Amino acid sequence: MLFAVDFFLRRLVQGLVIVVLVAMLIFTLLRVVPGDPVRIMLGPMVTAEMAEETAQKMGLRDPVPVQFIRYAAQVISGDFGHSFVRSAQGGSTGGSRGGDTFDASNRAPVMGLILTALPYSLLLAGLALGISLVISLPIGIVAGLFSGRWPDRLALYLSSLFVSLPNIWLALVLIFLVSVKGGLLPAIGYQNWTYAILPALVLAIELSPVFIRSASVAVSSNMMESYVPSGIIRGLSRPRMIVAHVLRNSMIPLLNVVGIQAIGLLLGSLFVIEYAFNYPGVGLLMINAVFQRDFPVIQAIAILACTVLVLVNILVDFAATTIDRRLQY
Amino acid sequence: MTTRRQVLVGAGATLALGAVGMPLAAKAQGKKTVVLASMGPLTGNFDPTSHTTLGQGNFDKLIFSHLTRAPMEEGKTDVLEPDLALSWQIIDEHTLEFKLREGVKFHDGQDFSAADVKATYEYASQPDRPASSFYPGQVEVEVVDPLTVRIKTDKYGYPASTFWFVSSYLPILCAADIADPAKLQSRPNGTNSFKYVMTEGDRSTLEAFDGYYAGRPKIDEIVYAYVPDANTRVLGLMNGEYQIAERLEPEQYQSLLSNDTVAVRKGMSTENKYLHFRCNKAPFDDPRIRLAACHAIDREQILALMGDAGVASNCFVSPMKFGYTDIPNYPTYDPAESARLLEEAGFPGGKGLPQLEYITSIGFYPKTKEYGELIAAMLMEVGFDVQLTVLEPAAWEQAIYRGADGQGPGHMCDVGWMTGSPEPDLVLRPNWHSSAALINGVNDAEIDAALDKERATLDPAERMKVLAEETFPLLAAKVPSFSLFSAVVFHGAAKNLKGAYYYPNGPIDLTKADLV
Amino acid sequence: MTPELVSTTSVAQPTLRGQRWLSATMFINAWRTTEFRIGFFVFFGLIVLSVLGPSLFGVSPTKISVTDKFLPPIGFEGGNWAHVLGTDQLGRDLFARSLIGLRNALMIGLISVVGMFLLGSAIGMIAGYVGGWVDLILMRITDAQMAIPVIILAITILGVSRPTPFSIVCVLILAGWPAYARTARSVMLSERRKEYVRAAKILGASDLRIMIVHIAPNILPPIAFVAVLEVARMMIIEAILGFIGIGIQPPTPTFGTIIADGTKYLMNAWWITTVPGLLLAISLCGINLMGGALERARNKLLQGVS
Repeated sequence: MLFAVDFFLRRLVQGLVIVVLVAMLIFTLLRVVPGDPVRIMLGPMVTAEMAEETAQKMGLRDPVPVQFIRYAAQVISGDFGHSFVRSAQGGSTGGSRGGDTFDASNRAPVMGLILTALPYSLLLAGLALGISLVISLPIGIVAGLFSGRWPDRLALYLSSLFVSLPNIWLALVLIFLVSVKGGLLPAIGYQNWTYAILPALVLAIELSPVFIRSASVAVSSNMMESYVPSGIIRGLSRPRMIVAHVLRNSMIPLLNVVGIQAIGLLLGSLFVIEYAFNYPGVGLLMINAVFQRDFPVIQAIAILACTVLVLVNILVDFAATTIDRRLQY
Repeated sequence: MTTRRQVLVGAGATLALGAVGMPLAAKAQGKKTVVLASMGPLTGNFDPTSHTTLGQGNFDKLIFSHLTRAPMEEGKTDVLEPDLALSWQIIDEHTLEFKLREGVKFHDGQDFSAADVKATYEYASQPDRPASSFYPGQVEVEVVDPLTVRIKTDKYGYPASTFWFVSSYLPILCAADIADPAKLQSRPNGTNSFKYVMTEGDRSTLEAFDGYYAGRPKIDEIVYAYVPDANTRVLGLMNGEYQIAERLEPEQYQSLLSNDTVAVRKGMSTENKYLHFRCNKAPFDDPRIRLAACHAIDREQILALMGDAGVASNCFVSPMKFGYTDIPNYPTYDPAESARLLEEAGFPGGKGLPQLEYITSIGFYPKTKEYGELIAAMLMEVGFDVQLTVLEPAAWEQAIYRGADGQGPGHMCDVGWMTGSPEPDLVLRPNWHSSAALINGVNDAEIDAALDKERATLDPAERMKVLAEETFPLLAAKVPSFSLFSAVVFHGAAKNLKGAYYYPNGPIDLTKADLV
Repeated sequence: MTPELVSTTSVAQPTLRGQRWLSATMFINAWRTTEFRIGFFVFFGLIVLSVLGPSLFGVSPTKISVTDKFLPPIGFEGGNWAHVLGTDQLGRDLFARSLIGLRNALMIGLISVVGMFLLGSAIGMIAGYVGGWVDLILMRITDAQMAIPVIILAITILGVSRPTPFSIVCVLILAGWPAYARTARSVMLSERRKEYVRAAKILGASDLRIMIVHIAPNILPPIAFVAVLEVARMMIIEAILGFIGIGIQPPTPTFGTIIADGTKYLMNAWWITTVPGLLLAISLCGINLMGGALERARNKLLQGVS
């Protein structure tokens, strides 16, 4: 118990430092790029004086560090600000030349936008992880048990192939074959959860080489450990040995991979795949925000994505140490 | 019988079960819902006078009525039908009278009367309203009795007959809303067959208006969805997610012709596609450079690329508009002339010209990116250094209109202009009169004079002549914008949707439509 | 990002000469495998094609010919030999465009991997060699940088500025260096206590000289072997950036833009998206086969030694 408290305290502080650094980096990057956010908020028809006045009022002319501290204070109180371009109902807006100045109350709160999109992304990510584990664990474990023999080779070729398929291309090929030609699964947009299957499949294929590889490496190296023959000598059957000990011990590296690599990979690819499938998750929100230069949305999502990655890392490390107490942090 | 799809669905369901139990379930059935996949975003401001955008305009037309209707059926484009007005007549040069329909109600329950028409016309024609550039000029409205109004233009010095066709394009608002701008902007309140319910993200819901004067429509609900990608619109139409998809690509039209569940329609529109030059910014402040660019563009190639989606026209307005004519001096493809003009302007072979940014959209009109690349290549051929910027529709809508400083981003913009009724001034004044010049920013006294003269000409035959012999040739000589072609639009709709009327300027009337 | 890199950390390094011999052996062992050779020939075949192809066949990748739009690849009805892989929506030759796309993807992939390798290794080696505060600060920055997924970083930066090949490479380097820094640092930590380093110090060599001349040649080749795999990953990311529209800008063709522009025509001209993607997938397979073989050869040898 004490160990857990100590562990989380230390890691969370470290994580916080990382997140703050990341936030600073992204915040600064978005402030130094060309393009005046005031123009985006107010539309093109507003006068230069009005734009300047609004910018002053919103503090957009203050030095970047001052702006960052203000933003950070806001974020700590749970407010990620308001979108520049989305209406209070969350829709994209464009072309209005109404005289009114930017008013935060008629723009969508960023947190609300993210929370609306998040369930869709979680569904997609969960489905992708599930499909990927279902595909790759059996392959990886068998490859590990028969290290150096044909299942191992097969797994190797399969993952070489999977890792070489560009996800966007795979997405389009699957849309074409499965949805347009085959009519087997719906593909574009979102109406019900079946719309998540095809994008999840693309993500799963992208993820599975990582799983196959680490599962086979973990299993094969455990099989070479001395406890396997000694256990068998002591009368444990080979299948029982494999299931009870080898697989359990192989969990740790696998967990590490799930945490660090898979989530990192997923976080990036999810965005692209959501865009390719026009799937209304956080990724599509982010990419559209980039097109519309909706800075509050961009920075909030980027910061949250990094926070998720950092948290997952901490959890993974914690799980690894509880499974195997030799790994002390 | 279990289909393969059901098996897959089942397999997936077990996987997803418990993963997320959020508002992902499909909506309850039983209602007749039409989901309209539109290529244009809403503006976020429900005051119809605050914009000149197509998406919001089409949305407005579902909710607001007009004094008259201009169905513009081919062959008889100049017919006006009664809507909120039952009859109309010209009293004298500066007075146009409308007799109004009785018993019309707004969606919020208020009665419609002459006071609403007065408030709307006087408000919408104020020069500071962004959409006022559509209208011929400011007006005063006299309320004769609760069901009679007179549009008067004598104070502003132009004929009232200019509002004859515009009456089918100016949406009628409620006087009480106009008095309260915040309310006007926050939700639309019209008299048409559908009333606004809510907006969720990029989907806005409308429901049948029980109090509609011609009876409640059979469709219960319209969901107006902003879907910025043509491919998505078509795939959604094919799998039944949408009942109507706007603006198909010509290839999609071809492949859908043989589809069992989707009906496609093709219709000439009132839209021309323009290449606007930012005329108040170097180098396009020099008409010779604009002409040089026009002569470098081979419009036949663009039309070959557009296929069925475009027809050739050598005029600044669409063939559906009054006054359309083949302008004799319209710039033709002539690279030698282009080179000569560039040299004359001091940029032989394009040397010395800055890099020019050409802003276009993707997903809004068919093939804009494709012909954008083509035009960029053709301009580079004669020495222009062109960089193509392709924007998503919402961002593009923000970029095209020039700013209060008089200028907008980039040097050239691809924009179409699609307005209702045969009235050419709905196109000419917003685009080329210096009081608006919404996109190109042209400020040319001669053009202004020509446009004012054309507006002031009463007799239709005479006006036609002025347009053909003075206005259009002048525009063709100065080319503040280059009209590339006239657009043919394709819509796709579910086969079971019957009775929808597609106006050639974009709006879709679902008043009499039904899902069978 | 690449934990395979990290596995070098625990390895006890033998003598200086042994180390260099080890690298050579790794390469020779990898070369002996079939996968490596298949990958090698596929990959270099495509490189030669992409360098010589466009001039060899005399087909322009940007020449627009509207009348030739939507020609299918040969073997399908309507295809012709002038356009082996067909044409796109503007009648441009897809084969020529794919080859240029491949060339650009390769350049960006190679340059960015070399860049992140150099930058990451340099930072990691300095952190490991100097230690103390420098180490702490550099490693915190590394951690922070590692917490940003590549794509998100790229979208954020490139999406709000105008992308050029240079800025794309910079972003990729910025996103990729931390993995190398971590690996290089941990190897450095064990390396700096070694006999030959102390010997060099006693002989009066400067720290910089020790790092570059003595240590780098020992610890970098094994890391570089694994970096080959990273080239493939960067090529995919380049395609993704093009797909979103924040990669190299038209008229220069890239895989991403070709694929993205062809999406609209999936129904009636499927080849525009599929054919270039297939070419990309084949070249990535080549790189991955080579990289994988190198990695396994290295792991086997290192395990054998330890």
